[in-house]
Amino acid sequence: MIRDALVWCLAVVAALGVAAAVVLSRRAKAIAANKDRSEAALTQRLSEADGRLATLRAELHQHRTDHAKTIQEAEEAAEDSTKAVLKGSARFLQSLAAEQLALLEEIQRKYGGHTVLGDLLEVGHANAQMARKAQGIAVMCGAPLGRRSRAASVYDVVRSAQGQIRNFRRVEIMQQTGLALKASAVSPVALAVAELLDNAASFSQQGSPIEVTFQRVQKNLCIVIDDAGVGMNDEERQKATALLSGQYRPRLSQLGNQPKFGFPVIGLLSQQYGFRVDVTGVSRYGGVRAVVLLPEELWTEEETAPVNEVQPVVEQPGAPAARPEPVARTAGGLPRRGARQVPIASVPDQDTVGLPHVAAGEDAGRAAGRSLGAFQRGTLSGRNLSAAPSEGSDDT
Amino acid sequence: MSDEPEEDLELTSALVPFFVITNGRSLPPEHAYGHTTLVSASEHAATTVRTLTPEARQVLDLVMDGFLSVAEVAAHTHLPLGVVRILLAEMEDANLIIARKPVPRAERVDREVLNAVLDGLRARFGA
Repeated sequence: MIRDALVWCLAVVAALGVAAAVVLSRRAKAIAANKDRSEAALTQRLSEADGRLATLRAELHQHRTDHAKTIQEAEEAAEDSTKAVLKGSARFLQSLAAEQLALLEEIQRKYGGHTVLGDLLEVGHANAQMARKAQGIAVMCGAPLGRRSRAASVYDVVRSAQGQIRNFRRVEIMQQTGLALKASAVSPVALAVAELLDNAASFSQQGSPIEVTFQRVQKNLCIVIDDAGVGMNDEERQKATALLSGQYRPRLSQLGNQPKFGFPVIGLLSQQYGFRVDVTGVSRYGGVRAVVLLPEELWTEEETAPVNEVQPVVEQPGAPAARPEPVARTAGGLPRRGARQVPIASVPDQDTVGLPHVAAGEDAGRAAGRSLGAFQRGTLSGRNLSAAPSEGSDDT
Repeated sequence: MSDEPEEDLELTSALVPFFVITNGRSLPPEHAYGHTTLVSASEHAATTVRTLTPEARQVLDLVMDGFLSVAEVAAHTHLPLGVVRILLAEMEDANLIIARKPVPRAERVDREVLNAVLDGLRARFGA
């Protein structure tokens, strides 16, 4: 009886267990199916979201590009308009400074014998510095440089540059060469050298020398500028090289409050006129060695006459207006000059005064009066009387 | 950017300004190197010619063979008189030239003294 009951119980339990298992497995399947469905749905939504994100990203990128472009365009427009405004003013200043230099030279000639000349020379120095600045600004704004119509010795070009900086007496040009720069290269090289000299003077101690030498390296002519300054570190060297080669052109607005446009100006000039400038060397004093390398297109080996030698004296001894050069010596070993027909205005004749033994002529000249004209008349008349015979002992 | 044709600016002033030629030195005192002061190259000037500036060399060439007045040197070099005077002062400091000042007025014999001498001679010899 009890066993039967137990068997039944067991059977019931087993049946219940089987039923439960079946139910559970069904539920599990249903849950799994559910899960699959929701997962699929989620994946789809995720991919949708991803798609939207990518679109938005692309749009954002587009906007950013547009933004940058607009800003760049605006900056360029601002730069261009700034340059245009500055260029007009710079050209005005440039031509005014050039005019003033020419005018001042005329005045210096006019008052050459007056004590005011000393002050005029100083004004000339200030003016030359101003002209350099005006030229620099003009170059930065894309205006052309004032040009020279005559070739000049490289020595004179460096002297021209020397005159354009404040402490120009610190510059020592150690040698002279017969090499000349072609007319087209005179202005740009002078300005580039002036900027290098100014840089050398600014970054070295007051009073320390700045030495300029010339070297011929293969087909190039080098102007070498050595200063006794502190030199540059690697970063400064890299920056300077980028500026000088013209690779990096800073905007006007990037030049700052105390604009340093020396190197950018040199960079522009060297690209325009085809020379190279390098400042990475070390000078013999441990400062910077700047080298301007001029290719053979820019210079010649011809010797040029000094600028102010308008009328070469030695080459035309027979010209009536020129003073005849001493061609012979008197019996006493003193220099004697040839006879002159036409007296040079305002330049007194010193033939007889230079010879102590023609005292009669000398005294006659002095007695004739204080003015130079009278002096000259007296000398001439004195020579007619006594100088000619006294010199004539070895005359042919 | 620029519409107007850009005519080139021609620089007409001397390439080397006068103050560079004088190397910024000031004028010598007023009485030194007057128009009629005579200058000549000193004996050892020829040996230093190479180191001189072109202008100083030109001056030295002019006075190499004898005395020349300051005014003449200025006329031949086409430099202002003052610039020449500064150059000459520098060259005399470097013993490259010798300068001979014109005889000052005070040293000249007074006309009255000569007249007195003449009177005396006449009185003595009864000319």
